[in-house]
Amino acid sequence: MKIALCSSFVPFVDGGGRFIVEWLQRKLIEHGHEVERIYLPFVDHPQDMFAQMVAYRLIDLTESCDRLIAFRPPSYMLRHPCKILWFIHHFRLYYDLWDTEYRPVPDSVAGRAIRDTVFAADTATLSEARHIFTNSRTVSDRLRHFNGIDSEVLYPPLQDADRFRSDGYGDEIVCVSRVEHHKRQHLLIEALRHTRTPVKLRLCGMSCSPPTYSEELKALASRLGLDGRVIFEQRWISEEEKVERLASALAAAYVPFDEDSYGYPSLEGSHARKAILTTTDSGGVTELVVDSVNGYVCAPHPQALGEAMDRLFLDRSRASMMGEAAYQRVLDLGITWDKVVQKLLA
Amino acid sequence: MKVLVVNDMVPFLRGGAEALAEEIVRRLNGTKGIEAELLSIPVKWEPAERIIEEILICRSMRLYNTDLMIGLKFPAYLVPHSRKRLWLLDQFRQAYDLWDLGQSNIPKTPRGHEIRQAVIEADNHCFPDCEKIFASQAVANRLLRYNSFDSEILMAPVNDPELFVGGEYGSYIFCGGRINAGMRQHLLVEAMRFTRSNANLVVAGAADTPADAALLQASVERHQLNDRVHLDVGFLPLTRIAKYVNEALACAYLPIDEDSVGYATMEAFGSAKAVLTVSDSGGPLDIVRDGDTGLVVHPDPESLAAAIDRLADNRNTTIKMGKEAHALWLSMNVTWPTTIERLLG
Repeated sequence: MKIALCSSFVPFVDGGGRFIVEWLQRKLIEHGHEVERIYLPFVDHPQDMFAQMVAYRLIDLTESCDRLIAFRPPSYMLRHPCKILWFIHHFRLYYDLWDTEYRPVPDSVAGRAIRDTVFAADTATLSEARHIFTNSRTVSDRLRHFNGIDSEVLYPPLQDADRFRSDGYGDEIVCVSRVEHHKRQHLLIEALRHTRTPVKLRLCGMSCSPPTYSEELKALASRLGLDGRVIFEQRWISEEEKVERLASALAAAYVPFDEDSYGYPSLEGSHARKAILTTTDSGGVTELVVDSVNGYVCAPHPQALGEAMDRLFLDRSRASMMGEAAYQRVLDLGITWDKVVQKLLA
Repeated sequence: MKVLVVNDMVPFLRGGAEALAEEIVRRLNGTKGIEAELLSIPVKWEPAERIIEEILICRSMRLYNTDLMIGLKFPAYLVPHSRKRLWLLDQFRQAYDLWDLGQSNIPKTPRGHEIRQAVIEADNHCFPDCEKIFASQAVANRLLRYNSFDSEILMAPVNDPELFVGGEYGSYIFCGGRINAGMRQHLLVEAMRFTRSNANLVVAGAADTPADAALLQASVERHQLNDRVHLDVGFLPLTRIAKYVNEALACAYLPIDEDSVGYATMEAFGSAKAVLTVSDSGGPLDIVRDGDTGLVVHPDPESLAAAIDRLADNRNTTIKMGKEAHALWLSMNVTWPTTIERLLG
């Protein structure tokens, strides 16, 4: 089958939005399909956003492929008789982030008209899809709430998940993630102060935004006298290093604020058979982690996280059991490429 | 500096322009201080009316997080950017020289005239805002003639020059490149009927269609040239092509009015081989000079046969022309480092 994978992109910025497309591309080729990947630019400035949407709309792939799979907005505005969506997020500034400081235009008559137009354009073009899959319940809920559209959750798997392994359960809680304020590495550092055991914390990952936050983290660790117990690796972590860090970890931590999906860090930790430490307000992560089964879902407070860290440190057999349960949880949810390919091509 | 290379794409089709676009990105990424990425915009050319939408699509796109845009083909180069340069691989020839030749898909109706005018105006609107425009000689000539814009001549270098280093001068003439009627490999095969020397012919490359390959094969058999003509048809590794070039007596390349010098010509010159071409081949004539760096004859089998005999019977002269070709090529300094330097300079 000839399949076009279409998404929007920001030139020179990598991330989950590209991984899902490129990993799927590889799998579809392995399954014997012809695949063309189409990344188009999009800038969500209110003044020329609609002209760009029209451009997407005018692109004609109807005769050039058997099936179109669309991802980031507004790639679903392309026309195709067999349009399938793997919808990973809305134009969030106009949707769930409207009532926050991130709102891009004033909440005035004019601003609301822009928002309404985004809603209308989205709803009309989303409705054309033969089937809509999302990456999480959170995103499915938003589609239902804002656009009145039903969808099916199709969790995105990792590429080559088999390379993750466990070599036992050491002294470190490992967090491999971009270093960003909304990923809340500071919460993990503050949690250490409340621990009574010598449990350690390893923070791996690069900062994409200005380096202030990563500097703050280092200062925070010093101020709390945690210098030896927080290990910083603030750089690009290779896939091999990631496997190694997780293999010897006591558990994996991922505590973002209200994330859409379960997040690759928690999935990676699960494949390495580690309990996942997260918080009740982490959004999609809580779709994966069941408290005290395959990790701990703590209140988003340092003290609660610190107690959970101690419990993991003091009871390694429990940490190991929860790690196995984390691996089992991924299997139970059916997060595999075979399932993804079968669903998207059904 | 972040450099975005912007090109067209026809989904699921790949050709020379796509390969060149990827090579430009790869070479830019190998340059200190440069990060490069490719944006390919899907384009549909039929029916002619569609061109208007394609222009609108490209002009409505917006780029973010990009310091410099390098546009390659129409209509992708119409994407707006405050710092834009063009390496013009092609304008939309259907609105220019092919229109004049009556070979355009745009109908010569009142509406067709409007469509053609829209293309010309989009181009004329885009070019003045570009910092620089680079083009091959033929594209530069058309740009000057039809749009009155000057450009700097820039040739696409050979991608793997280290493979084309020359070697022993064998006893065969080699013709590489895509195999189709327009590349006229059939003329060379027919020429072999009329040769009197012991020269052999090797034709290697991918055929555009199975029919193109079958026609050539049938011609070899019809003229009982099996022991003198070797056909090697398919997507061959470049190392195999390079071996054919390096060990040839001379190379032949007979496109019809090609825009560029052609990879086959550049590879032959890099390997110090004289090139046999014909008077209506276009681009190759920029560097293949008759009796100096190769032979230029009339495009018919008898003339080609006489030229092949001349190459085979006067080996020393042929080799000398090959060395001339090599010297000329080196003096032109068409390499990736100099090309990238000029693109960014």
